[in-house]
Amino acid sequence: MSELQATSGLLLAGTLFMLGLIGVLIRRNIIFMLVSVEIMLNAAGLAFIVAGSKWAQPDGQVMFIFILTMAAAEVSVGLALILQIHHQLKTLDSDAANTMKG
Amino acid sequence: MEFSNINIIDVLPGMFLVTASLLAVLSIAIKRNHKLIFGLTSGSLLAVFVYLLVYASDHQFTVEPLFVIDGFGTFVTGLIVMSSLAVSLLSYAYFEQREERKEEYYILLLLATLGSDMLVISKHFVSLFLGLEILSISLYAMVAYLRKRPRSDEAGIKYLILAALSSAFLLFGMALIYATVGSMEFKDIGNYLGSVSNLPITMFAGFGLMTVGIGFKLGLVPFHMWTPDVYEGAPAPVTAFIASVSKGGMVVLLVRFFGEINGQNYPVIVLSFSIIAIASMFTGNFLALRQSNVKRILAYSSIAHLGYLMVAFLAGGSLGTEAVCFYLVIYFLTNIGAFGVIAILSDHERDAENLDDYRGLFWRHPKIATVFTAMLLSLAGIPLTGGFIGKYYLITSGIGADLLLLIGTLVVNSVIGLYYYIKIIAVMFDKAEGSETIALRPRLYIINLVTLFVLTALMIWYGIYPQGLIDRIRDFLQ
Repeated sequence: MSELQATSGLLLAGTLFMLGLIGVLIRRNIIFMLVSVEIMLNAAGLAFIVAGSKWAQPDGQVMFIFILTMAAAEVSVGLALILQIHHQLKTLDSDAANTMKG
Repeated sequence: MEFSNINIIDVLPGMFLVTASLLAVLSIAIKRNHKLIFGLTSGSLLAVFVYLLVYASDHQFTVEPLFVIDGFGTFVTGLIVMSSLAVSLLSYAYFEQREERKEEYYILLLLATLGSDMLVISKHFVSLFLGLEILSISLYAMVAYLRKRPRSDEAGIKYLILAALSSAFLLFGMALIYATVGSMEFKDIGNYLGSVSNLPITMFAGFGLMTVGIGFKLGLVPFHMWTPDVYEGAPAPVTAFIASVSKGGMVVLLVRFFGEINGQNYPVIVLSFSIIAIASMFTGNFLALRQSNVKRILAYSSIAHLGYLMVAFLAGGSLGTEAVCFYLVIYFLTNIGAFGVIAILSDHERDAENLDDYRGLFWRHPKIATVFTAMLLSLAGIPLTGGFIGKYYLITSGIGADLLLLIGTLVVNSVIGLYYYIKIIAVMFDKAEGSETIALRPRLYIINLVTLFVLTALMIWYGIYPQGLIDRIRDFLQ
C-alpha cells in the first residue's frame, strides 16, 4: 500500500474516532454511549488494519480480531449492567443514574 | 517466532492461574460451595507465589515476541499474587454475610490477577492490550458484583464506559505508532526513536493518545474522574484490588515501556508527565480535604499517591526502578490494609464508609482502630512506617535526577495530606456515643483480623528495617 493510501486510511479512522468520541460526550442515553464507544474501538481497529497493510504484515489484522473479541466481551458485560440499571431506575438517562458526586 | 524452546515450567504462573479459574468454574457447575472455592483460590495464589520463590527467582528468559520474564517482572508478579491473596482473604468474610451468589467473584479475582500478571511481563502491544483487557473486563463485573446495592450498577457502568473509552484511546495511539514504526515491540519502537532526529506528527499523536489511555487507567489528573465514584460504589475488597493490583500493574508496564524507549531523554514527554504528576498531587490532596466519605478520601489520596510515584518513574534508571518497586510494596500493603479495615467494619447492607461510622472506633474496637491508624499514618508518610521510607526513596531517586520542582511539590503535598489522614484518626479517638457492635461471626472475623495484623506488621517492619526489602529488590533487579 502506498504512503498516500495509508494516510487517507488513517484519516478516515481518525474521523470515525472523533465521531465516536463526540457521541460519548454528548449522548445521554447509556446504550448510545456504549454504541459510540464501540465506534471508537472499531476506528482503532481500522487504523490497525491500515497500518498492517502499509507494512504488509498480518499483525494489524491479528490486533483487529483481538479488538473485536474484547469489544464483544465488553458489550456483554455492559448490556447486563444496562439491564440492571433499567430494572432499578426505569430509565437509561445517564444523568438520572449519576448520584455520586463530590 | 519459536515456541519449541519454551519450557512449560517457565510459564507456570499464568498456566496455574488459568487452570485455577477453570477449576473454579467447574466446581461451581457441580456444586456451589463458598468455602471450597475460597480455598481453591487462595491455595492457587499461594502456590504461584511459592513457585516464584523457589524456581523463578533465578530464571530469566523471553517468550518472543510477547513476554519478557526478568527479575523486575518476577518480583512484581510475586507482589501482585500476594496482594490478590490478601484481597481474597479479606473477601471471604465480606461476601459470606451477603445474600448474593458469591462463588463467581473468585473466578473474576483469579482472572483479574492473571491480566495484571500478563501486563507486568509484556513487551509487545498485543500482550499489553490482552493483559489490560483481561484485567479490565473482570473488574467491570467485580465492581458491580453486589447487584442489589443501588450504587454498584452506577459505579460499574461508569467504570465500563470510561475504561472502554480509555482503551479506545490507547488502541488508537498504538495503531498510529505501529503505522509509523512498523513494529509493535517496545524495543523496536525504542530503536526507531533513537534513529530519527525529528519525530513525525503521527508519533506525537500516538504517544499523546497512549498517555490519555494510560492516565485513565492510573487515575491521574486530568483523567481521574472515575476514581472516587468507582471506589465508593465498588465493594470494599474490590476497591482494595483496584487500588493496588490494577493500578500497580499499569505502573510497572509504564516503567518498562519507558525504560525500553528511553522516555527520560525526551523533554516533551518528561514535561507532560511532570505536569500530570504535579496536577495529580495537588488535585488529589485538595479534593480529599473536602470529603466526608472515607472511601472517597482514600480515592483522592490514591490519585495523589500515583502522582508521588511519577517522581520515581520520571527519575528512571536503576534507582528509579528500585524506588518504584519499594513504593509499590508499601503502597499495596497500606491500601489493602486500609480497605480491609473498611471491609471488616461493613455490615450486610452497606459499607462502613461515612466518617461517622468511625466515630469512637478506638473505644469500641481498639484492635481494628490501631490497624487503621497505622495504615493512615503510613499513607501520610510518618517516620517508623513503611510509607515514610517509601517517600524517602522517591525523593532520593528524584534528587539523583534533578527533579527539584517535583520533589518540592511532593514535600508540600505530604504536609497537606497529613490533615485529612489525621482528621480520620481524630474521629476514631472521639468519645463513643453510638454503641452498635459488629455482628460478624467470630471465626470469619479472625481471618480478616489476622490478615490485617500481618499487613500492619510487615508495613511497620519495612518502616523500621527497610534494608532487607531493599536488598531483595536489588537481587531481583540485577
